[in-house]
Amino acid sequence: MLKQLPPTSLEEVIRPIETARGLPNAHYISDAVFEEERDALLFRNWSGIGIAADVPEPGDVKPVNLAGMPLLVVRDHEGCVRVFQNTCRHRGMILVEKQDNLRGTIRCPYHSWCYNLDGSLRATPHVGGPGRNIDSSLKREEFSLFSVRSAVWRDVIFVNVSGDAPEFEDYAAKLMHRWSEHNQPLYHGGTSSGFAFDVACNWKLAVENYCESYHLPWIHPGLNSYSRLEDHYHIEESGYFAGQGTMVYRQIEGDRGERFPDFAGLSEFWNQGAEYIAMFPNVLFAAQRDHGYAIILMPQGPGRTIERNEIYYSFDPAERPDLKSLIDMNAKQWRSVLEEDLFVVEGMQKGRHGLHFDGGKFAPKMDGPTHTFHRWAAEQVEEHRQSLNGT
Amino acid sequence: MNATELNSRILDAWSRGDGQLLAELYSEAGNSLLDSGLENEGCFYLTQAYILALENGLDTAAALHAELVRHGREE
Repeated sequence: MLKQLPPTSLEEVIRPIETARGLPNAHYISDAVFEEERDALLFRNWSGIGIAADVPEPGDVKPVNLAGMPLLVVRDHEGCVRVFQNTCRHRGMILVEKQDNLRGTIRCPYHSWCYNLDGSLRATPHVGGPGRNIDSSLKREEFSLFSVRSAVWRDVIFVNVSGDAPEFEDYAAKLMHRWSEHNQPLYHGGTSSGFAFDVACNWKLAVENYCESYHLPWIHPGLNSYSRLEDHYHIEESGYFAGQGTMVYRQIEGDRGERFPDFAGLSEFWNQGAEYIAMFPNVLFAAQRDHGYAIILMPQGPGRTIERNEIYYSFDPAERPDLKSLIDMNAKQWRSVLEEDLFVVEGMQKGRHGLHFDGGKFAPKMDGPTHTFHRWAAEQVEEHRQSLNGT
Repeated sequence: MNATELNSRILDAWSRGDGQLLAELYSEAGNSLLDSGLENEGCFYLTQAYILALENGLDTAAALHAELVRHGREE
C-alpha cells in the first residue's frame, strides 16, 4: 500500500524574506508534490505550452504534453489558434501523435470519429452498426473535443486547463502594462532562433535562476564584463511575475557593424534598459530594444524540464536576408549564455536530495524576485489545498 | 474491376497511406454494391469513402454525405 505523505509545510515560505525559507525539498523531487503543483500552479493559472509560430498555416496541428496532460494546438481555417484536449470523446484515444498539416478533419486513428478544426464532432462512422453513422443516443453537439482556454501573447500560447483562472487579459495585465511599449508585432527569427535544452531539474529552479541577477558575476562573467551586478535592479510584482532589469543593455553588432532595427517608438529608457521577467508559472520573457525572447518551461517530471528558447525581432527576417548572419550569431550567443545556467539548475536539483536542506536562507537584498516566486507558489498550493478541503 | 482486384487495391492503398485513392476505391465499391441493391453493404463502403474524403479535405465529401443522408445513414 502506498504511504500517503502529509502535505508539505509552507508556512515558512510565505514569511517575509528576512525570516523565510525556500520551498521544501519535496517540491523539487517528489512525484506526489509534482502532481499537486501541476494542479495548483500549472493548471489553475495560465501556462505557456508553445508558440503560435509552431502552427503557422491553417490546418496545422501540434500535440503538446503539459505535465502529462495531452493537448492539441490547432490553427483553424480562420487562422485562429485553438487548443483542445488531445483525446477522442469515444474511447479516449490520443487523436494526433505528431505535428502535421491536416487537409480536412481530425480523424481519430481508432474508430475514425472525425472532428472539425473548431473541435465539433463531424462524423461517427458505423456508430449505429455497419454503414449507419447515426445513433439515437448520440447527439454530436454534446461530444465536441474538450476545448481548453487559450490565449496568445508575445507569440506564446498560454492555456488555463482548469478553466477558472481570471481572463488572460486580466492575468497578464500588469506585465502587458509594464511592457506596453513593446506591444507590437514580433517576428520569429527562424530555425536558428528556436532551440531547446533537456535539463535535469525541476522547472521551478529555472524560474528561480532566471529571476535574479545575484548569480551573474559568477555564472556569466562574460556578461558581467559590461553588465555589472550594480547595473541591475529587481522586478517584483507579487502574485504575477518577478525578474531583473539592466540599465546597460548593449546591442549585438555584426562584423560589418550592422545592428538589428529597434522596435518602433520606444522611449529613451529602452536605449540601455532591458528586462528579463518570469511570468508565473512557466514562461520567461525578455524585452530589449532590438529583440526579445521567450523561454517556455515544459515540466516532464519532478526532476526533468524541457526549456524551449525562442527569439523574436521587430522585422520579418524573410525581408532582411542581410541580417541572417547576425540573427544566427545572436542565437549562438544566447544559447551560450543560457547554457551557462544549466549546471546551476541541475546542481540545485541534485542538492535538493540533501535530507537536511531546509529550503534555503534567502539573501534579503539579492533574492527578492526568487522569494516572490516561492511565495506565489506556496500561496497557490495552499489555496489549492483549501479548495480541495472545501474551505 | 472485380471484388478481388478492388480489395487488393484497397489494401495496397492502405499500406501506402493514400487517403485520396482509398476514398475513390471505397466509393467505387459502395456505388457498385448499391447498384446491385445491397444497401447496407453499399453504405458501409460509402461511409469509409466519406470519412477518408473528410480527412483528406476532398470535394467528394459533400456528395458522399448527401448520398448517405438519402439512405438515412448520416445526419
